[in-house]
Amino acid sequence: MSNNPLLHGAQGERHLLLGNEAIVRGALEAGVHVVTCYPGTPSSEVPDTFHRIGGEGRYRLEYSVNEKVAMEVAAGAALGGAMSLVTMKHVGLNVAADPLFTAVYTGLPGGLVVLSADDPGCHSSQNEQDNRYYARFAMLPCFEPASAQEAKDMTREAFSLARRLEQPVLLRTTTRISHLRGPVDFDALPAPQPKKDFQRDPARFVPVPAVARKRHVVLDELMARARQAAEESSFNTIAEPAEITKLGIITSGVSRNYLADALAANGWEGRVRVLELGMTWPLPEEKICTFLAGCERVLVLEEGEDLLEQDIRVLVQRRGLSVSIEGKDDILTHQGEYSTTLVTRRLARWFDETCPVREPRSMEPDLPGRPPNLCPGCSHRAVYYTVRQIFGDEAYYSSDIGCYTLGLLPPLRTADFLVCMGSSISAGSGFARASEKPVIAFIGDSTFFHSGMTGLANAVFNQHDVLMVILDNGTTAMTGHQPNPGMQQDVLGSMSSHMDIETIVRGMGVTEVAKVRAFNIKALTAALNDMKDKPGVRVLITEEPCVLYARRQLKKVAPQVAVVAQQGAEAMRCLEELACPAFYRHGDNLEVDATLCTGCMVCLQVAPGAFKARKRQG
Amino acid sequence: MQNKQKRMRVYFTGVGGQGTLTATTLLARTALEAGLDVVAGEVHGMAQRGGVVESVMLLGGWRSPKLDLGEADVMLGFEPLETLRGLPYLRQGGTVFSSSDALPPVGVSLGKAVYPDMAHIESSARAIAGQCLFIPCRELGRQAGSVQSGNTVLLSAVCASGVLPFGVDALEAAIKKFLPPKLQEVNLKALELGRQVLKG
Repeated sequence: MSNNPLLHGAQGERHLLLGNEAIVRGALEAGVHVVTCYPGTPSSEVPDTFHRIGGEGRYRLEYSVNEKVAMEVAAGAALGGAMSLVTMKHVGLNVAADPLFTAVYTGLPGGLVVLSADDPGCHSSQNEQDNRYYARFAMLPCFEPASAQEAKDMTREAFSLARRLEQPVLLRTTTRISHLRGPVDFDALPAPQPKKDFQRDPARFVPVPAVARKRHVVLDELMARARQAAEESSFNTIAEPAEITKLGIITSGVSRNYLADALAANGWEGRVRVLELGMTWPLPEEKICTFLAGCERVLVLEEGEDLLEQDIRVLVQRRGLSVSIEGKDDILTHQGEYSTTLVTRRLARWFDETCPVREPRSMEPDLPGRPPNLCPGCSHRAVYYTVRQIFGDEAYYSSDIGCYTLGLLPPLRTADFLVCMGSSISAGSGFARASEKPVIAFIGDSTFFHSGMTGLANAVFNQHDVLMVILDNGTTAMTGHQPNPGMQQDVLGSMSSHMDIETIVRGMGVTEVAKVRAFNIKALTAALNDMKDKPGVRVLITEEPCVLYARRQLKKVAPQVAVVAQQGAEAMRCLEELACPAFYRHGDNLEVDATLCTGCMVCLQVAPGAFKARKRQG
Repeated sequence: MQNKQKRMRVYFTGVGGQGTLTATTLLARTALEAGLDVVAGEVHGMAQRGGVVESVMLLGGWRSPKLDLGEADVMLGFEPLETLRGLPYLRQGGTVFSSSDALPPVGVSLGKAVYPDMAHIESSARAIAGQCLFIPCRELGRQAGSVQSGNTVLLSAVCASGVLPFGVDALEAAIKKFLPPKLQEVNLKALELGRQVLKG
């Protein structure tokens, strides 16, 4: 660890880095002091890399309990004079929006950079919202890298601007940028930067209405200075072809790459002028107008919403320019991800050329799918199986965000609706009140701390009828096993404190509380049967470490595996209803793949005659 | 530094947990060490829970960390069903190097779907590819010392074939430079097995 290039790489070294790792190096080159986060794909490798390399005292990292808290801690740290970074996925910024919108009014002297990692294409998200809106809405200067090198360089520049203006700055990536790998040339890693002493000034830092009105004026002035920075930014570049052309393209983000590749692949580089924007808010209006003045037609190329396009249309109208602006249409939609092929199609139409893109060969139909699935030995499967045995289709299942959302798949089918992080208990409460049906809300331990606790408080306060099952697997499994307050103290180490979920639940006033091992089907069944017909808020906590976490971090491997003892109807029922991925059919028989079986022994309890345990070999 | 290099797109596909992303990173580092422009792309998160895992490596000055259907010059399949599923990404006349050792998806294990015949997978690949080789990677990996090192067999074989702008020696140097010491012996054995596949 100690020779990690991110911490020790010298100026001039070149390393292949993940986009998110490059952000870490950029923050280190800037002299970051405090990093806060809530994990979420595709942002998680930023805090996880800070965690992995340790930092040798350069910075203090915390996994906060949710994005709002992470934003507030980082904002407070920046008020206290620290250069601060807060990281989250795009939907996390919705959670963190409240503190952000006020932090821009007071300003933050230490400097705060907000990383929003967006997910066009919904690779691992519930929507594809475009967080460039937040730059405009909250009034934040915004940088959008398109390569690993830029991810590093823009992060450093974002910190520089945040410190200079004393304003939060948005660093906005998308999945493809966070998860690309590319060469990065390092700059020097300076000694840790001094923190700024906090100067008491309630007329600035306490935004009561009289203060807020004045600060809004200041904010406008600061954004005007940020606009000047965008005008002069080396990340906003114009490429002029050798031959004169009146066609221009304005582009930002990952689309810059698709454009460059589409032009290069087809030999079209000489046919257009290109304005690439890397610092994308505030808009460098003078630079854009200079560019527009040399064009008759301009195509705006941006993945996601038509933000640049609308702004440029307004600019053209206000300045009275005679240039036609094109942007979103039937090819360049606001849905999903762009690609080189998509851009090539649009350019071919624009240039009035035959489209060089051949129709792709279609995928062979009816191939067996390979959907994501709960792992062999996942404790959620045992809980879902037991709940379905007892409640079947009588109850309605309010799900939440984590691996356990995969309970929606057959045969478990234990997710009927899902709103957002922490919504299982609150949306379940509302659903139960409206429908008068039994509702079971499933939530993981990290999500419970994130925003399930407030929903539970509300359910107690407003006397809702809902059964909450807290699937406590002792870690933040989905995003890569990040710490959360529910983890055991010996795993957390000395820098974090364990919090006991049962104590919290009882402290909130829930009286119907039970805690069982998730792999103990008999105890699970008894607890669920006991709670089934009771009114009010009931909480069942099921405990069992995430199987991947147990194996990789805790180094725990069960000494036994399951084997089929008796073929027949019982074995087949277990296959149909439990559907453990370690099972496979061999002719008419059921077998257990010993390399996949983790030894949870749930199948022995589900179908006692059909399975037996044997010692794990090798 | 760019422009003079041959541009090439490589598509990797396999199953979550198999180590295809590690293999992609190793090959990208090999390319960078060989002085080539390289960008690689991968998708994390939900996709890893036993699902299909795809990644890409683009050489010679491409900027996009992604490729589209019909664009891959080379396809590295770490699992034969995923090779078949990924074939539309291959350009006509491209190169396929694939494992021939199946990892049946859950639907097949449960008897609800049928795994395609290996002969069908190979003939489908040959219908599109100019060059095509199926290798028992897991089996050779096991011979080298670990199933996971079967990925190195595949990388070594494609390097030995001359289709990439660097050879096995470059991969060997990258293994020695970037893999943890305890994994080196097994992977260097796997590298040798991959080289022999091409000779044999």
